[in-house]
Amino acid sequence: MKFLKRKTFAAVLASTLLVLGACSSNTTNSNSQGASNNPGASNEPAATASADPVTLTMLVSGAKAAVGEDFELETLPRLVKEKFPNVTLEVQKLPDEQYYTSVKTKLAAGEGPDIFLVFPNMANMGAIEVAKAGYAADLSGMSFWDRVSESAKNDMSYEGKPYAVAKGMDILGAYYNKSLFEQAGITEVPKDWPSFLAAAEKLKAAGITPIVMGDKDPWVIQFGMYQLSANSVYPSDPDFDKKLQTGETALTDEKWVKTINQYKELYDKGYVASGSLGMASAQAMQQFVDGKAAMIFTGTWDLPGVTAAGASEFERGFFSLPGNDAGQPVYTSAATAAGYALNANSKNLEVGKQIFEYLYDGESPLFQAWVESNPSISVFSGVELKNAIFQDVLTNIQETGNAFYFSNQMWPAGVSDVMQSKFSEIIGGKSTTAEDVAKAMQDKYTELYKE
Amino acid sequence: MNSAVMKKAMYLFVLPALLFYCIFWIFPILKLFQYSLTDYNGYVQSFDYVGFDNFKQLFGEEILGASIKNTLAYTAITVVLGNAIALALAILLNANIRAKGFYRSAFYIPTLFSAIVVGFIWSYVYMPGDGLIASFFAKVGLGGLDTNFLGSYSKALYSIIAVDIWKNIGTSVIIFLAGLQTVPNELLEAGKIDGAGRWKLFRFITLPMLATSVTINITLSVINGLKAFDFPFVMTNGGPGISTNTLIYAMYKMAFTDQLFGKASALGLISFAIIIAITVVCVLTLNKKEVSA
Amino acid sequence: MTNESRVKRLSTHAILLALVFINLVPLLIVLSSSLRSPRNMTNPLNWFNEFTLESFESAYTRMHFPVALWNSVVLTVVSVAFVVLFAAMAAYPMARIKSRTSKFLYLFFLAGLVVPGQMVLIPVIQMIKGLGIPLGQYTPILMFITCSLPFSTFLYTGFIRSGVPEEVEEAAYIDGAGLFKRFWQIVFPLLLPVTVSVIITQGVWIWNDYFFNMVFITKALDAPLPVAMLGFLGDQQNPAQWNVLFAACILCALPLLVMFFALQKYFVGGLTMGSVKG
Repeated sequence: MKFLKRKTFAAVLASTLLVLGACSSNTTNSNSQGASNNPGASNEPAATASADPVTLTMLVSGAKAAVGEDFELETLPRLVKEKFPNVTLEVQKLPDEQYYTSVKTKLAAGEGPDIFLVFPNMANMGAIEVAKAGYAADLSGMSFWDRVSESAKNDMSYEGKPYAVAKGMDILGAYYNKSLFEQAGITEVPKDWPSFLAAAEKLKAAGITPIVMGDKDPWVIQFGMYQLSANSVYPSDPDFDKKLQTGETALTDEKWVKTINQYKELYDKGYVASGSLGMASAQAMQQFVDGKAAMIFTGTWDLPGVTAAGASEFERGFFSLPGNDAGQPVYTSAATAAGYALNANSKNLEVGKQIFEYLYDGESPLFQAWVESNPSISVFSGVELKNAIFQDVLTNIQETGNAFYFSNQMWPAGVSDVMQSKFSEIIGGKSTTAEDVAKAMQDKYTELYKE
Repeated sequence: MNSAVMKKAMYLFVLPALLFYCIFWIFPILKLFQYSLTDYNGYVQSFDYVGFDNFKQLFGEEILGASIKNTLAYTAITVVLGNAIALALAILLNANIRAKGFYRSAFYIPTLFSAIVVGFIWSYVYMPGDGLIASFFAKVGLGGLDTNFLGSYSKALYSIIAVDIWKNIGTSVIIFLAGLQTVPNELLEAGKIDGAGRWKLFRFITLPMLATSVTINITLSVINGLKAFDFPFVMTNGGPGISTNTLIYAMYKMAFTDQLFGKASALGLISFAIIIAITVVCVLTLNKKEVSA
Repeated sequence: MTNESRVKRLSTHAILLALVFINLVPLLIVLSSSLRSPRNMTNPLNWFNEFTLESFESAYTRMHFPVALWNSVVLTVVSVAFVVLFAAMAAYPMARIKSRTSKFLYLFFLAGLVVPGQMVLIPVIQMIKGLGIPLGQYTPILMFITCSLPFSTFLYTGFIRSGVPEEVEEAAYIDGAGLFKRFWQIVFPLLLPVTVSVIITQGVWIWNDYFFNMVFITKALDAPLPVAMLGFLGDQQNPAQWNVLFAACILCALPLLVMFFALQKYFVGGLTMGSVKG
């Protein structure tokens, strides 16, 4: 859902990806290193510091796995128990909105869970805020950091110390239906904005719904918007968000107006399935897998959903929505994913750290299960890209470094909500303009931003 | 028996309830007054006092007016329409017919469902394309009608209001029905003999006898409407835009998404004032009517 | 019986049946879909075209039904027991004593009815923390008791005022029975009709509440039925998941439905308590 509450910096990101690419041939090396660093890496059950039974609580967000074992609710507690027989992990998983309510209330009361989910940098439940408030434990002493990419570590850091371990890196893009593209006579993936519009027009002319979006869950509006801002805002002004903080620029700048207008164009021209405001994201995804629409904008995390079996069989592809003008390179929207943090005030902090050492040791059954269950692109060295569908986009980022973070990760939480609710008015056919949306966003930014 | 000592001792009986009530209800409400003057974000325990800034900001923003308007519409419609339908059903059921118990139960069943479950079920009913209403329209050849209920600025609020009425009507029917059964038949017969028409019988005999039920039902639905939160929360996320933000939902969103707990407290206090004012006016008016009826 | 009245009666039945049908159609569709296999994706309007318990099995395991059911039972029973105890006791002096204090207390409790729980969540949890009460499976009970007090004391006070006059205690008073004894042995048993009413009105909302449970409970397996349902939130608008989701909806409502049909007359009596006292 609100996976977009993350931030990262393009430059660091790109460099890490290069490192990652280089490391993937290096598996054995990093594994042996892991074993030597980590006393708990053998598969013998290891007793924790004290062998008394301890119970740890864990609160995470997300939807329960529809089929099979849920990693967080089932696999994780089971494998932790196998390794540390005296440790019981009690896990509660809530939908995103409910997660924010529940975890913040508990932390505020000093009753926070021992392990919880933290988002990168300034986002809602972002690492900076959680660290500043003293809720998350400093993880700098952990042994696994040399295997984690620099940008993933930085995005979870405050004053140089890491406070959470990212699940991976997420990329926003357009999943597309290759059969429908062929049917409409589109021979290659669009590389710039005019060719994207042309492709959408071809699909529409062929009687195919070009794009389906579940705008009843308003956060999906971010999925298209940030891909466009990665092309229309940041390439010409990489420090845009820094200038925003100093008041040197504003979200009412023509770059953002252009971004919003680009996205608006897709709705104005009828490329997005009508009635999207009444359709939830899960239903939109179902329409896509049933072959009723050619594209859907979302991120790497939705891979299980968009590749689920539907009424129609077809090959899926993935590309970055090209918001760039003709002749300009495409920029991708990519950022560090959320990750687990330990509660600094937990009585069981030491046990929690031992679990983290085991979970992130790079080779334990628990690490394997974690990687396996996790659709994000791993930020651990030595883990190969699991899903070939992302290869092209990933290669492009690695070769060119052309990527920017999700815009909202540099905004105070709340600005993106205003963007969504104002843009919904455009979708709903009100007379709201891109300028109105930008102004509402800037007003909210001014209200919420604190040095 | 009524000695002063006895009376004082009796107050000990209130203590357990009073203790719970003050600690977990009254004291937290008083805390809201403090927070409403701060920039507390809800989970970092340091904050500054900002005077009446939160209130000033609220009065300058679209959300306050919109959520007050939505809440009032929500309340007015659930109160008027909900009770009118419930009363009509109760009158139908009060006829001397068989299987009264069956009908009564059938209307009461939705009341037993958790708001979460009701939200799930009605999300399906309202869904465009595959939903109950949409597929029904398609089947009977009305496929062209717009069935985007929850995604439309003009329809979303009314759609969730309908769900609220559906869920709560059973209780009102039962209460009205009990009231109707206290209307003595002899009185109605006497009225008929005097040549009073149906409307007159209803207006001058039935309705006055129903006064208590009407008061109870209206008061409960007014409070329920002003506190509306569940259906925007489960079904629409307050959207599209802010078109289904009720006061309580807007406050919740402000506290937990925007992380402006201070401002949310201010909105909470404004909501509180509105709810109290409307409830008091309602109760006083109804009581006056009840006495005069 | 005259022809005219028969026609009238039949038409009343016809109208009522039609209304009942419209009222229950969403639930019937939910029931019919829940009885399909998870893979049956034909339109739900073609109802009752398959009968299997597969979807129920899937929902049953996914929501850990027996555990969640037990949690719901414990939370509801314990909360309601305390509500009955505290509210009946509190109402006794408020109804018996005619003084300003008593009148104030009555209105003071009643005013609580208009406060929404979402509003006070953060201060409440700070309070709980300040008192050193740990969060967990039973913490929501505190809030259930508190939130139920306004309405329950209102019902009890009204009933004692109009239905349990002081005279009933007279004999015991002359025998020298103390206040507590008189309350427990004479007054409380006479309050049975209101007690039923409190159990039903408060029991139903406590059983169905998700909000306090969602915030206070720290472990998935401690969650009662409505919170277990939150795990299906993502499925609500995905037609591919409906059959299982609908089975979960039925499972969640089933215990209360069974209770309702078994104890129907108490439900009806309980709901009307206080509305026809005049």
